[in-house]
Amino acid sequence: MTILTRLEQWKEQGKISPEQHAHLAGLSRGEPFSLFLELNVLLYAGVLAFVAGLGWTVSTWSQQLGDVLVLTVLSAILAACSWYCFSRAPAWSPAETPAPNPIFDYVLYLGALIWSLELAYLENRFHVLSGQLDLYLLATAGLFFFLAYRFDNRFVLSLGLSSLAGWFGLTISHWSAHQDAAYRGYALLYCLLVGVGGALLQRGGLKPHFFGTYLNVVANVLFWALLSGVFNRQGYGLWFLVLLIACGACFTWGLARRQFAFVAYAAVYGYVGISSLFLRGVNDESAVLSYFVVSGVAMLVLLVQIGRRFGRPA
Amino acid sequence: MRLYSASSEESLRARKLLRDWAGDGFLNKEQYQLLEKETVSELRTTNIFLRLVLFVFTLIIVGAGAGLFFVVFLSRPSEETAGVFFLIFAAACYAAAEVSVSRARIYRYGIEEALVVCSVGFLCAGMQAAFFSGSSYSPEPDPAKCLVPAAGVVFSLWIWRRFGLSYAFLAAMIFVLFLPGHWTLSPSAQHLIVAVFYAAGLAGVAAVRARHHFNYLDEAYSLVEAFLWLGIYLAFNLQISSLNLPAQWWSGTRAASEFGRPFYWGTWVLIWCLPPIVLARGVRQKDRFVIAVGAIVAILTLVSNKPYLGRPRHTWDPMLLGMLLTSVAVCLQRWLARGPGGIRHGFTAARLLGRDKHWINVGSTVFGLLSPHSTPAPQTKSPDFRFGGGNTGGGGAGGDF
Repeated sequence: MTILTRLEQWKEQGKISPEQHAHLAGLSRGEPFSLFLELNVLLYAGVLAFVAGLGWTVSTWSQQLGDVLVLTVLSAILAACSWYCFSRAPAWSPAETPAPNPIFDYVLYLGALIWSLELAYLENRFHVLSGQLDLYLLATAGLFFFLAYRFDNRFVLSLGLSSLAGWFGLTISHWSAHQDAAYRGYALLYCLLVGVGGALLQRGGLKPHFFGTYLNVVANVLFWALLSGVFNRQGYGLWFLVLLIACGACFTWGLARRQFAFVAYAAVYGYVGISSLFLRGVNDESAVLSYFVVSGVAMLVLLVQIGRRFGRPA
Repeated sequence: MRLYSASSEESLRARKLLRDWAGDGFLNKEQYQLLEKETVSELRTTNIFLRLVLFVFTLIIVGAGAGLFFVVFLSRPSEETAGVFFLIFAAACYAAAEVSVSRARIYRYGIEEALVVCSVGFLCAGMQAAFFSGSSYSPEPDPAKCLVPAAGVVFSLWIWRRFGLSYAFLAAMIFVLFLPGHWTLSPSAQHLIVAVFYAAGLAGVAAVRARHHFNYLDEAYSLVEAFLWLGIYLAFNLQISSLNLPAQWWSGTRAASEFGRPFYWGTWVLIWCLPPIVLARGVRQKDRFVIAVGAIVAILTLVSNKPYLGRPRHTWDPMLLGMLLTSVAVCLQRWLARGPGGIRHGFTAARLLGRDKHWINVGSTVFGLLSPHSTPAPQTKSPDFRFGGGNTGGGGAGGDF
């Protein structure tokens, strides 16, 4: 029985109204057919291609074009994007705010990318930020976070999160020795800052729908950092313990909130960490393969049980 | 032939639609709970994340199990012996997939999918090792050797029909690529043979899917048709399907040398003709996947036109492409929005389902993190600086731009 037949039956049985039937049957038949997704993808691809071409042109022809022309063009685009966004944006609200029109988000995204491009050009030509590149990244991250919260834009929020990660990375690159351990420390600090910041903003009711983005970024960075500690030849015990705690917390949170991406993170990262510990120093092929068979079956049974109990699409 | 009954799959589809509609507020809570009871299916499903993890762990178990068998029971087997055991593993994996579905009634659960993927891999590896391991390399085509990819095609198609996995059809299309090399050395003939296979598949799918409008198979056939259109296009676009593609593009030389001139220019005409045909077909059928492929091949045609003509690329070409794509999107959106009720010819630019917004949110988060987010390079002491080469970008971004 197709969905159209079911809808007809439900209408006749009075389970749905004739208006609901007409609307839902139309949706099932694709009447009207929405091109919302396709147009958004086209806009994103268009902005990305434009900025890539602009960057390529500027980097190739900067000597011939001259600084004045390059900076004028980049500044003009940046100013136009800023004017467009600030003049068209609705009044700010801490709740989720829809964009005023379909191209708004992409104009803001274009402006954010042009900002990065122009600053990069300025630094490379005039060294205006000499020795303070980390400050540039921090300021850029701050600007992107402000824009993301002002205009309710996930594209720019992601740019802000990656700029902040870049700031942590650049700061640590000043250190020459023990880089691995230091990077790990900074990654954990980044997770703490972003996680706590995201949680506080969510609790404060400031764009609470962004919280999922924060959590996904934090979970992945945290697990990578912990795994890099577990892979150490020495002193990995503490990292392993923290990995287990993090996996347990992630797993529990994922099940409780029915956010199964976090269950998957806990299963995969946890399995990699535990496997690296078990297989440390084991050279016997059959022992390694037996481990993968036994542990794989154990994971499969556990996940199937979880899937049976919780894992149906919510 | 299909492992799942039509009523079960129809019920699953209805259940999914009900969930979407309830989430969008088209049904109230009481209605949703009432109607959900009428769409109960005996099939057991899971969410995409657990499905992926189950798939990976099943692959690990099968791979490690096969490896363990060879380590424990067969030390240094001959290739023929290993091939025979691979064929046995293929049969075992396939049987396990069938049993898991028929007993546990699992549907898109990751486990049965990994088992059938392993069975295809074992089958091809087994046939190659068992039947052709001793044959020496010869530049001349050997039709007998096409047995391995042919078996891959047939078995993948069987899995597509039996389990309804669309990517099995894609695997069959990939196996087809290896067939013509065993029949002819001519690159033109090889491209033509692949295109003919795909066109035959397309004709078959187009004929069959007319009977499945608005039922649970419509989307599956739509995806398969989109794959086939893309395959036909790629078989004809010699600038994309040619093996030495990067060298040709950067040097601006044509791939014409390995193809006859009439064939080369014939394919150039075809890559301009195909996008409007695919787009028209997608729009007429209101088929999302075919429309998407139509847009992709149109962009590929624009991108590969200069290499086709042997003209040099310019740094501003991507800018022009970006402006074109943006203009098309904006004009189309405005044109549709100005129609009565925001609808023209049955199409609208408005969002009708919450699912679309969810995809946009996921996409904007992921693509935002992966954006080419350039940052300045640390200052060099050398006076002859070079613009570009930022060394950090966050989110995996590259430094050069």
